[in-house]
Amino acid sequence: MLYLFATFVVLLLLVTGTRGFTLLFGLGINIVSILALLVLIADGFNILITTGIISMIILVVAIYMNVDNPNTASTAFKTSLMIMIFIILITIPLEYWASVQGLAAENQDELESFSLAAGISFPQLAIAIIVINSLGVISETSVAITSGLNEIVVNKPTLTPTEIFNDGFSVGNKILNTQTNTLLFNFFASTFPLFFLIHSLGYKFGDILNDKLVVAEVLTTLICTVGVILTVPITSYLVYKKANKKLQKVK
Amino acid sequence: MKKNIRWLIIIGLAVLLATGLTYFDSFMYHDPVVKIEKIKINNKQTATDEYKNTDTQITQQITGKLLNSNNRGKSVTFKNTYYKSQLVDTKYSVGQQVILAKSGKTYTPKNVKRDTTLVFTFGLVIFLLYCMRFDRKKLFISVLINIVIYFGYLQTLIRTHNSILLPLTVITALLISATALLVILGPTYPALMAYSSTVISTTTAVLLSIFVLSMTGYSGVHLELDDFELQPYLSVFLSQVIFSVLGVILDETMDISSSLIEMKSEVSDVAEKTLFKSGINIGREFIGPLINILLFIVIAENLNVVLLYLSNGNSIGYTINMTLSLGITQLLISAIGIVLTVPVTSFIASRVITRRMK
Repeated sequence: MLYLFATFVVLLLLVTGTRGFTLLFGLGINIVSILALLVLIADGFNILITTGIISMIILVVAIYMNVDNPNTASTAFKTSLMIMIFIILITIPLEYWASVQGLAAENQDELESFSLAAGISFPQLAIAIIVINSLGVISETSVAITSGLNEIVVNKPTLTPTEIFNDGFSVGNKILNTQTNTLLFNFFASTFPLFFLIHSLGYKFGDILNDKLVVAEVLTTLICTVGVILTVPITSYLVYKKANKKLQKVK
Repeated sequence: MKKNIRWLIIIGLAVLLATGLTYFDSFMYHDPVVKIEKIKINNKQTATDEYKNTDTQITQQITGKLLNSNNRGKSVTFKNTYYKSQLVDTKYSVGQQVILAKSGKTYTPKNVKRDTTLVFTFGLVIFLLYCMRFDRKKLFISVLINIVIYFGYLQTLIRTHNSILLPLTVITALLISATALLVILGPTYPALMAYSSTVISTTTAVLLSIFVLSMTGYSGVHLELDDFELQPYLSVFLSQVIFSVLGVILDETMDISSSLIEMKSEVSDVAEKTLFKSGINIGREFIGPLINILLFIVIAENLNVVLLYLSNGNSIGYTINMTLSLGITQLLISAIGIVLTVPVTSFIASRVITRRMK
């Protein structure tokens, strides 16, 4: 695995030059944040609060280190933060309603020899899982839409709010398509072993529809998609507000 | 605008109706379904285990009304024991619908009825899409075709008993990426460009990684610890790598090639070398965010098991080795693919654009 990592670093530096160091540094911070999250949760800190704080740090790093334009970065950060809070808010009732926390009977082999009285709230962890899952997709989407929109607004500063929203959606359409693909293909990647197992266990359609692991995967994919969808209007609104402020200052 | 609102109301009602239907669909279930009406806590035991985890085991005595079967409307009582942390067990609450298993005269809880939540969340996504001016048709078509392909993939997988997993995955990957590109870009040169760069970058990344890994005999990579220990390990692992990186690489190639096409349309006599260089410059910006996307997905997927290991007194090093080594290897292969895509796409796009697009 070390060789694989070395291959990655060499290729990265070949393609990106010195910028590669910044990239590696950013990735390093993200990995350290994740490790901190694991240790804190295992030590019994409140899962939701810890996840919220660590996610904020991750968003700061992911957005401010990858985006050069401070204007784009601040709008993208605000959007991502709002989406993250929104995701937490809709995930809490959905998770409790569906009770898809933790592991299931299908994981039996993995669970052998473990003490299952872990003392960690797995329902809360289930919410943290969806939030963390969405972080990368959300930050990428908000950055892409913000920079696309900002470019349009800079070139044509007299846009009306409707026009800004229209442009937001035309930029957003393509991003929505590609992000849905990313989420969908990752859903395929994580579920084909599960479906294969489910078949060998002889589940019926009704069993699959109510299966804890299947529902958990589907909910994750759907909630992340909701995050991507909502990024578009929120970004458009923030860009519009900013453009408006500038216009008033000029007057 | 008025038409819009009418559509929105129709969709909203349809979603509510579908959600409502799943709430009353218990007659379609073979197993008895019960709606919980009363819960009494019988027994509460707090214990601290050898790893100093304090957890409480609770036994609920649950009374509810049967919603289906011959005994519809009858009250039944059953017991449920769970740990407060709810790793594999579930706390039931009043109002929830639960699927039961019946043996003789006693009922035991089998599963929470989750189809209502599923349909509701799915409806929420559709409703939100209709709230805004997205190009829904394209999205629906590509998602639908890809799900059908995935379904066919699963069926073939099951029929062949998982014996031709890897070739099957490659074919499926070729199909789903073609679908995605054809729907988004249409049958055009950019689509062909993006397709060939996706295929070349993914293949190179996977082959290169296999070569590097086999040089060290896969040391430190616990292939046997994949999800549900499905075999053959290497094929399962590589299939997961291919599916997971595909979406990201598609995104990257489309972005790079469309930027280069735009550049060509602005400066018509742009040289091949300049195009290639700006391709690399544009592509650089994508590497970080795209690796981030996969990093968080991989971590999130394994979070439950990681915390189970940690809470069972394992060190963080051992935990990561046992639970995340596969994920990290997958991430590294994907990262290599993401990096390779930049020069590959820039090269192909700059050649095609200067030769074919006048």
